[in-house]
Amino acid sequence: MISIACPHCQKRYRLDDKFAGKKAKCKGCGQVMSIKASPTADSTATLPSQDPLAANGPPAQNQPHTTPDDAAAVPPAETAAPITETTSTATPVSAVEPLAAGVPPAQGAATDNNFASVGSPGGQPGGAPHQPNREQASRGEASQILRGTTNHLQYEISQRPDFSIVKVEIPQGRKLYAEPSAMVSMTPSMHLEAGFKGGIGKTFGRLLGGESLIINTFTAQDGPGEVMFAGGAAGDVAYHRLEGNSLYLQRGAYMFNSEGVEVSGKWQGAKGFFSGEGLVLLKASGTGDIFFNSYGAIVPIDVTDGFIVDTGYVVAFEESLQYRVTVLPGLRTAGKIKSFFFGGEGLVCQFAGTGRVWVQTRQVKSFLSWAHNYRPAKSN
Amino acid sequence: MQHQLLAQPAMSVAKLTMQAGESVTCEVGAMIAMTSGFNVETTSRNKGGSGGLAKGLKRMFAGENFFLNHFTATASDQTLMIGPGLLGDVMHYPLLGNTLIVQGSSWLASAVGIEIDATWQGFGKALFSGEGMFWVKCSGSGDLFLNSFGSIYQVDVDGEYVVDTGHIVAFDDTLQFRVGKAGTSLVGSILGGEGLVCKFSGQGRLYCQSHNPPSFGKLLGPKLKAR
Repeated sequence: MISIACPHCQKRYRLDDKFAGKKAKCKGCGQVMSIKASPTADSTATLPSQDPLAANGPPAQNQPHTTPDDAAAVPPAETAAPITETTSTATPVSAVEPLAAGVPPAQGAATDNNFASVGSPGGQPGGAPHQPNREQASRGEASQILRGTTNHLQYEISQRPDFSIVKVEIPQGRKLYAEPSAMVSMTPSMHLEAGFKGGIGKTFGRLLGGESLIINTFTAQDGPGEVMFAGGAAGDVAYHRLEGNSLYLQRGAYMFNSEGVEVSGKWQGAKGFFSGEGLVLLKASGTGDIFFNSYGAIVPIDVTDGFIVDTGYVVAFEESLQYRVTVLPGLRTAGKIKSFFFGGEGLVCQFAGTGRVWVQTRQVKSFLSWAHNYRPAKSN
Repeated sequence: MQHQLLAQPAMSVAKLTMQAGESVTCEVGAMIAMTSGFNVETTSRNKGGSGGLAKGLKRMFAGENFFLNHFTATASDQTLMIGPGLLGDVMHYPLLGNTLIVQGSSWLASAVGIEIDATWQGFGKALFSGEGMFWVKCSGSGDLFLNSFGSIYQVDVDGEYVVDTGHIVAFDDTLQFRVGKAGTSLVGSILGGEGLVCKFSGQGRLYCQSHNPPSFGKLLGPKLKAR
């Protein structure tokens, strides 16, 4: 047995000896790591799961109040599961499923096992879903902590997906750019400056893209700094690393970025007009890190072969994808556009090409139209 | 059809994986995303079956839409993601020839083998149960997906059980319920804030939701700008 830990997110795996020297993609953070034959030091002794809290409590669920200072001391959620369960989750690259096969589950991960047991159709005869199991399985997945280290910063997204919050650590002299009100707390070493960024054109582009004119700049002036960011609505935060390519963000999804990323508005033309989501998308490009948020959980989907998303649920997508806004296909050609008018699905974004789309599981619009019914009537 | 429930319990969605020819009927507006190999059809009837105008109208009264969307996979391994509009959970219920009575707005999707029909609960219940006038009766066999406002919990009823109005998601049709007062005196029940409750009797399973939309709405309402 080889015991390794992912160098990026510290997720641990135990693998068969035959995988020594091979490379594997971490199910936790998606980074590729090499599997080195480890001396047979007993791996279980090094597990952080010896923390009594993590070992006995339901995984992850009961570690809510991690303050910035002790958050690092809390073991990652997934290590609370028995190590044998995670064994199968590190797949050697040679046998890895193509990254983009269909829709991978949210952040993949150790939960495939869980879902296999509770999510199989049918269930036991006469049986209705067994609630306790289901809760635990899903909780384990939902509250998985995402962390990583890049050239610019170190991040940790916790309390997912309902109340996601990001902790970012940057070395002295580095900067972060964030939308106003995204900051929740920070160390005194951080210096905050509000201002217009990127000239008139970019500034107004952002405005049209549903974001603020002002961008806050956080600089780690007196030593390394730490900032906590959260979105405005209850929901999830997703992270993407840009390597010279671009990412399109839906109106209001932008949260913050590292140095090296430019965020500007991009006119969408007629597509934007019909999508009901605003005429301008935000475009993030360059080399660096970008974080964006949603209402509801975020499900990343790797598109290879055409994909359709209701316009209200798109959070972000890679530039490598082509998209068009249309009514549900199959209805147009037949001359029936009933679904468009009566089917409630309205307009959809039809993606083609290869790339990733981030989809949110709820939309604010639905909530608003529901809440509207409870508004008091004008008295006169 | 295979399914996975993601992001439970507050932001739940159901991810369905379907093979060519398989079909699912969804609540209007439930579709979030899907692969391109689906044929979508909007009708007021059950898939391939009965229904039509009358049933559509009944569904409207039950808090559902007049129309239904049928998604039929045209290729293998097609994925469809569906979810409710409000925050809350999604539940999978494998129906095996039995009948489940579902609260009007809790029905999300069902497989083709399930017949969905709105049923009238009687005038007293309709008026006082805090639920809709009609309920959705699901019978047959196949996968059924329900959604709730808040989380869902299950109660095995044997004898009697009391649920506050507005918190019922679904129950086996082997259960009967009547609307009654919570305490011994009506005044006391109303002052106690519980008002009327639903009293179940018989033997069967009952699914409740932790929160109910009208309570939340009444909390929000006064703080919102008048329309």
